[in-house]
Amino acid sequence: MTKPKLKFNPVAQEYFENPYEIYKRMRDEAPIYYDEDEDFYALTRHADVAAALKDTDSFSSSRGCDLGMVRTGEVPQKSIIFMDPPEHRHMRSLLNKAFTPRAIQSQRDTVVELVEHYLSKVDPDNFDVVQDFSGPFPVEVITRMAGVPEDFRQQVRHWIDTSLEREPGQIELSEKNMQANIDSAMYYYSLVQERRENPQDDMISRLIAAEIPDDEGNLRKLDDIEITGFTTLLGGAGAETVTKLVGSAVVEFAKHPEQWQMLLDDRSKVPDAVEELLRYVGPVQYNVRYTLKEAHVPSGTVPAHKPVFLMKAAANRDPRAYDRADEFDITRDRAQSPHMGLGYGIHSCLGAALARLETTVALEHLLDFMPRYEVNFDGLQRVTMQNVAGYHNVPVRVLK
Amino acid sequence: MTQKVVVDFGLCESNGVCMGIIPEVFDLDDQDYLHILQEEVTPENEHQIREAVRQCPRQAISISDE
Repeated sequence: MTKPKLKFNPVAQEYFENPYEIYKRMRDEAPIYYDEDEDFYALTRHADVAAALKDTDSFSSSRGCDLGMVRTGEVPQKSIIFMDPPEHRHMRSLLNKAFTPRAIQSQRDTVVELVEHYLSKVDPDNFDVVQDFSGPFPVEVITRMAGVPEDFRQQVRHWIDTSLEREPGQIELSEKNMQANIDSAMYYYSLVQERRENPQDDMISRLIAAEIPDDEGNLRKLDDIEITGFTTLLGGAGAETVTKLVGSAVVEFAKHPEQWQMLLDDRSKVPDAVEELLRYVGPVQYNVRYTLKEAHVPSGTVPAHKPVFLMKAAANRDPRAYDRADEFDITRDRAQSPHMGLGYGIHSCLGAALARLETTVALEHLLDFMPRYEVNFDGLQRVTMQNVAGYHNVPVRVLK
Repeated sequence: MTQKVVVDFGLCESNGVCMGIIPEVFDLDDQDYLHILQEEVTPENEHQIREAVRQCPRQAISISDE
């Protein structure tokens, strides 16, 4: 019997349910996958994805980072994730200041406070790790840093969820997706204008005051649209990712209770566990790039002017890069290959230190709160979203 | 033969990932400018320095043989 034809559909229901199945076939059978129907390429092997992420001269972000966007051919809104060097560099150098490990350490008390707050409210006999805990807390941290008033912080999360949601078969943005983007952009835009009038000790106010070099090397200020774009991005990148990572963590540890026990016995292993979670169930599945010219990666050539999926989640389980790549193992030798759970190259996650801190603090508190627990596997519900995977619901009962 | 840490300051963006891994070697000052506190690669720090080389988002760090 011949295998069914290899078909990667980023918005298929079966892909949303289990992305890793198709990644294996793509890595083995079609490392430079070409989709005739939708006219895109996809890279899945670790060596190829890493090479492409380093080669920004060939693999450009300037057309956007998802298939719908890249295909329109329109220049997207000005945002750091849609920039190539040298423009990207100026913006990143500016934004980095808020996210250096030192700056992030100063957020630790905030993270601890919020984690404790949300855990104190759940019913140990029956709660949803995502809806009751890992959904609400990260968005509070990042929006507080940005300067969003308390009443709107949870609203930010609902806008993001609505904007990323995809129906099976839907590649382009729906009315609903677009409306959420418009609503959140309008909100941030008015917030930026408010902060111009009345600066506070927050990131939006600092961005208003900041200067970056323009094309001629003269210093310039950021405009309202640029600051709006960045704060919108922050709310998304800084919230729903950790939400999903922590939700998936609880599921993985329920499948591997001996590794949960290892953490209970030795808390110093928590950071290693976070790294393995980022590799094994990191929420970001892919980002799309556009080839400005014919591009060369270890497995071969990608033609010019094509959208290319760089599949980080597939690379993270490439047996060419990791021993027992399909096994979850918090004790694995991390020196083997870097994981791409936070990306790789110049666009790698700006908030990496914050993501690590939040996930570490969340796990430490969950270890105290539920040393023994069970997941109701029948109640697991996955999200169906553009480029991120994880659970919408993870029902848990703490065991006595 | 000694090995030394080399940072390409044209590439460095002060992400501080390296400092997070081994603050004894890499330090960001108050202006977020990176300093190498100890440039020699020793058996004690080699593993962490290699980790910093790997994790640098800009691939700005390397190890050179002298």
